[in-house]
Amino acid sequence: MSAAAAGPAPGRRPRLPRFTLAVPSWAWYAVFFVLPLAIIVVYSFGYKPGATASSSIGLDRLSLDNYRTALGDEVFASTFAATLRVAAIGTLLCLAIGFPLAYWLATRVSARWRPMMLALLIVPFWTSYLLRTFGWRLVLAGRGFPSEILQDIGILQSPIAILDTRAAVQLGVVYNYLPLMIFPVFVALDRLDPALREASKDLGAGRVRTFFQVTLPLAAPGVVAGLLLVFIPLCGEYVTPEILGGAKGFMAGSLVASQFLEAQNWALGSAMAMVLIGMILATIAAAALVAIGLRALVRMARQVRLDESGAGGRP
Amino acid sequence: MSTETPVASAAAGRTTGQAATALRRRRRIDGPAVSMRVWAVLVFIFLYLPILFVVFYSFNSGRVLLTWRGFGTNWYTTAINNTQIQHAVFISVIVGAVSALVSIVLGSLAGIAVARRAGRWTRPFLLIVFLVLVTPEIVDGISYLIWFVRLNLGSGLTRLVIGHSVFSSAVVTLIVQARLSGLDESLEEAAADLGATPARAFRDITVPLIMPAVLAGGLLSFTFSLDDVIVSTFVSTAGTSTLPVYIFSALRLGLKGDIAAISTVALVVTLAVLGLTALVLRRGGDTAEDVAATLTGG
Repeated sequence: MSAAAAGPAPGRRPRLPRFTLAVPSWAWYAVFFVLPLAIIVVYSFGYKPGATASSSIGLDRLSLDNYRTALGDEVFASTFAATLRVAAIGTLLCLAIGFPLAYWLATRVSARWRPMMLALLIVPFWTSYLLRTFGWRLVLAGRGFPSEILQDIGILQSPIAILDTRAAVQLGVVYNYLPLMIFPVFVALDRLDPALREASKDLGAGRVRTFFQVTLPLAAPGVVAGLLLVFIPLCGEYVTPEILGGAKGFMAGSLVASQFLEAQNWALGSAMAMVLIGMILATIAAAALVAIGLRALVRMARQVRLDESGAGGRP
Repeated sequence: MSTETPVASAAAGRTTGQAATALRRRRRIDGPAVSMRVWAVLVFIFLYLPILFVVFYSFNSGRVLLTWRGFGTNWYTTAINNTQIQHAVFISVIVGAVSALVSIVLGSLAGIAVARRAGRWTRPFLLIVFLVLVTPEIVDGISYLIWFVRLNLGSGLTRLVIGHSVFSSAVVTLIVQARLSGLDESLEEAAADLGATPARAFRDITVPLIMPAVLAGGLLSFTFSLDDVIVSTFVSTAGTSTLPVYIFSALRLGLKGDIAAISTVALVVTLAVLGLTALVLRRGGDTAEDVAATLTGG
């Protein structure tokens, strides 16, 4: 009986393909992720129909006109350039601020305090995005009390005036994406066996050398994950510039949104979204190439050193 | 005694000298540690500064948010009595609950399949999941808008649920998959060896095993939905503004105390859900680090 009960199970299994349970997800992503993305591509070649048309897009003649506008128009092109700059600076600032903190958390905080510290990091990350962002309007307000205190003690001569500029957007995005850098770097450093660093020190490497030759290479996957997690969404930022940047803080995301929500030029908006995606992919590819080149250089440099010591050490 | 004194004092001198060197060395070793700790304190202040400001000013009894006129809860009364806010909260909760449910079902099934039925299909599937997670939200937003208009999908609630569940189900997939791959498949095999049908083994073994991950994923999906601004802005219709959509449009008109007050309430609710999630995961046997990794989507 039991053999009969167990028997059909393995026999029945092969009839269902292995991905059966994932079919609903496949279908969901195909219909609500892949197709919508594909349609943006199509729309980006269309045109905005006249005001009398019932449809929001004209697709009967396809052209590259929208791309020409998105890249050729001076305002649009400079906005894309500014977006790339804000995103690149923001990502690097997140790394510069976040890495020491992640390192401290992974190597200097005792196991007893670590959950507490992690919780302290997670809470702001889970605080409403809008609240966190408009909170900066209160902190940086010209007539807010930080501004007044800074003036009273003589650090500032006039009220803080960075709201509604790109500097405020820069600050806001670094603030909003910092946790996304800290978490993956922390996880990578946390998995790193402390014995490796100790071994490096026992073998005579100093702090700096241990850091650059042992810790950093082993933490590299976490750093790369952090860079991607920060850079990609940062390029598409729309809420932070809207709240903190005013008219001067316009970014690519705001361009795309305004084509859809205000100008009602869906074709141009789609093309801008494609340019944005292209910009992100190109930057990542360029950064990856540079990283690979650098690694090859470092390896070559080290290999030479190893050969020399090998030649000197062994007859 | 007297002959020993110089020796003793010399020894004492040496000890003090050693202690001083040790101290100096300790201090030198502690140098980076101290600066790292100072850095950490500064970063924590940075992270909490704007949040504390909003919470603080939400209790301002004055009519102008930035001009402090003493402690009061009038903005909370204003916010709670605002029918637009009431409606937005209602929409947010409905959308959050339904999209969490959809995400749980889709994500758990897919997560089980990835962990237990891996094959040639897994790589492309995980690639899609990854793309779902990394696509800039503005691109998601416009693609849903275009697609829903094309499909003639007029219901704002349905649009919101779909828009939120695509992202959340990808997160649930990863959480469930991570939990199951950490567990030995021999448990399910043992059940089969003992005569359980696949359905029974699934119900009695697999489901209890993944339950903490499913619950955590569901709670995360709920908070994602509750906090989402961009996709919601693009897909919601006139009568179906979620709370963030309402707040976002209100913010464009300027800062007002009721926005600070309702944001503070939302903050407390989110933190309660978050605490609950952490508790569920801890009960399920995760370490603090695992919990942190799950809560941050990694």
